[in-house]
Amino acid sequence: MSNNKPMPVATQISAPFWEGLKARRLLIQQCNACEHWNFYPRRHCTACLEHDLAWREVDGTATLYSYTVTRIATLPDFMDEMPQKLAVVELAQGVRINTNLVGLAEDEIRIGMPLQPVFAEVDTKGNRLLRFTGVDKDAASLEPLPAQESEPAPVASEQPAARQIDLNDGPALQSLVSEQFSDWSNVVVVDQALIDAFAQLSGDDYWIHTDPERARLHSPFGGTIAHGALVQVLQSRMKMKLDFEITGFSTQINYGSDRLRFPAPVPAGSRIHARARVKKVEISARGTQLTLELNTHVVGQDRPSVINDLVILYLA
Amino acid sequence: MGLKGHAAIVGTAQYKPEKYATAPKMFHLEQVADLAAQALRDAGLKASDLDGLVINGPHFHEASVFVPAMAAEYLGLRLNFAEVVDLGGCTSVGMVWRAAAAIELGLCQAVLCVIPARMAPFGPDEDPGWMARSMRYGGHSTAFGAPEAEFDLPYGHMGQNTGYAMIAQRYAAQYDYDQRAMAKIAVDQRTNALANPQAMFYGQPLTIEQVLASKMVADPLHVLEIVMPVAGGAALIITSKEVAARCRKRPAFITGFGEHLAFKSPSYAQDMINTPIGPASQRAFAMAGIKPADVDAAQIYDCYTITTLLTLEDAGFCAKGEGMAFVREHDLTWRGDFPMNTHGGQLSFGQSASAGGMSQVIEAVTQIAGTAGERQLGRCDNVYVSGTGGVMSEQGALILQGA
Repeated sequence: MSNNKPMPVATQISAPFWEGLKARRLLIQQCNACEHWNFYPRRHCTACLEHDLAWREVDGTATLYSYTVTRIATLPDFMDEMPQKLAVVELAQGVRINTNLVGLAEDEIRIGMPLQPVFAEVDTKGNRLLRFTGVDKDAASLEPLPAQESEPAPVASEQPAARQIDLNDGPALQSLVSEQFSDWSNVVVVDQALIDAFAQLSGDDYWIHTDPERARLHSPFGGTIAHGALVQVLQSRMKMKLDFEITGFSTQINYGSDRLRFPAPVPAGSRIHARARVKKVEISARGTQLTLELNTHVVGQDRPSVINDLVILYLA
Repeated sequence: MGLKGHAAIVGTAQYKPEKYATAPKMFHLEQVADLAAQALRDAGLKASDLDGLVINGPHFHEASVFVPAMAAEYLGLRLNFAEVVDLGGCTSVGMVWRAAAAIELGLCQAVLCVIPARMAPFGPDEDPGWMARSMRYGGHSTAFGAPEAEFDLPYGHMGQNTGYAMIAQRYAAQYDYDQRAMAKIAVDQRTNALANPQAMFYGQPLTIEQVLASKMVADPLHVLEIVMPVAGGAALIITSKEVAARCRKRPAFITGFGEHLAFKSPSYAQDMINTPIGPASQRAFAMAGIKPADVDAAQIYDCYTITTLLTLEDAGFCAKGEGMAFVREHDLTWRGDFPMNTHGGQLSFGQSASAGGMSQVIEAVTQIAGTAGERQLGRCDNVYVSGTGGVMSEQGALILQGA
């Protein structure tokens, strides 16, 4: 999970609500004077303005008042939840809550459907958010933090056989040039530990990469982001699904990049993947140059985080 | 009770909407002075006639407090009435009635209502991250203790798109939802923009199929059903009947208004799809003594197609739940039987922050004055104007009438 997501900061007024969630209990306020239920927490009743509210535990029985499924993340940090299922639910007590639906496929969602609470873990410190799911779902199984591990790169022997193209076959090489990108590679998670390790290795320890607290307060991205150079080199950990293999050369050399751009940030905790296409093939006396456009994206994001026109020089 | 209709809008000024990246950068004080001079020339009045100012407080670049005094000093005005309005997209409508009320109360004789919405030049020490940070949560407060920081942002609820999308979804669950009718709102307005050289999308025709093929942002709203933010800015001059008589153009008298707000997040509305524009519009029509059927044009705040649809219903132009049929059955263009957003609406004119809502007021004034050019309506005496801020959270209505 991205560590740049906005997190609730409890106040003296709201603390019992958040403490309740940590203990997997839903506490909301009812007015002792007029019995009106209130949400979110306040010191007064919104029906009569009396300052006489009591915290009461409720079972979280609710119905879906409205929802939307997002096709563009409301913030890049929510990319791991795409598509986000943002919802307004109405508790049996009549109060409404802005929340998320979890454990429901899009076609299972109906306005008016009955829901139950999910005390969803959001960090390793025991903090939880109040999410909702269908009454026929196993709410407890939806509570843990989803695992965020990198996918292993596919083993070469399990890859479909690639079309072999000889370095001397000019027309076949030229036919590789395409506007179409390959399928996506395996997914790699860029977490703070990886960013910190790269900062140490490269010497670039600028706070926007390495100081989560300062970045949360002062970075335009609301948290730390990976170094562009780190995301670039992680292309080595991602196996692009290219459907050809060049043969008949003695050496291949990474000749550098014709173009290297970092158009979108990669917030710490992001899942990234890449895809490639052959952009150009140039045959000269010195050797054959193949330009691969390698684009790395945060999973679900249209805008690439790295555009790398990598030039590979093949020597016969 | 209410306005007597003794105050009128007599002059307007409006920057042509432009992309932020290419628009001139000007200090907000400088924009205020420039727009004021243009609006005074349009009215045929002098700077010395002005003795009232209504200005935006939020998003004013050179100050966050004491904005009216700073602007009065910069322009060289002596004011008998000063006011700041903070109603998001409803700010312009809110400015108009406040100025009219001040004039009818005899507090002042001519009021400048102004909203600068071009970017200011960056200072040498300015933190370039400031803008990005302020845009990140799209109008949601991140302050400690702000309920939305605590109970919305952690769930990804922020900005406006998803709030409007949830309103549209709730509507769809209860009534007929016809996405082609929704797209037609944008398309008819684009037809209007094709007759308005000032519009952002002038010269770019649009079809229902194009709207429906555009990217889905949050179900059921497509990107072409959502306004494009642009740089701009606008101003109005409002004055008394007596002063209006010596102005250059036919005045637009302010004869009715209403305003209603009760929440910031529509999740807490009593009924998400009975919007605040209902009570606001009923008060405005009653004050002016006219009915929705008497209106020659409706300039309806259109941050999203769903805003327009619900305003048509809740303001009483059609019954609740019949908005889609109304849109299907009426031609909403300037040539049509229900001229709506005849300048293109903000969807096709562009939305210059909270000055965007002033484009609707200015179009009403222009149509009443008879100076709308190609898109001029044959007869235009009674115009309904609405304003919407936040996620249908603050809404206001005006009735403007030609004498």
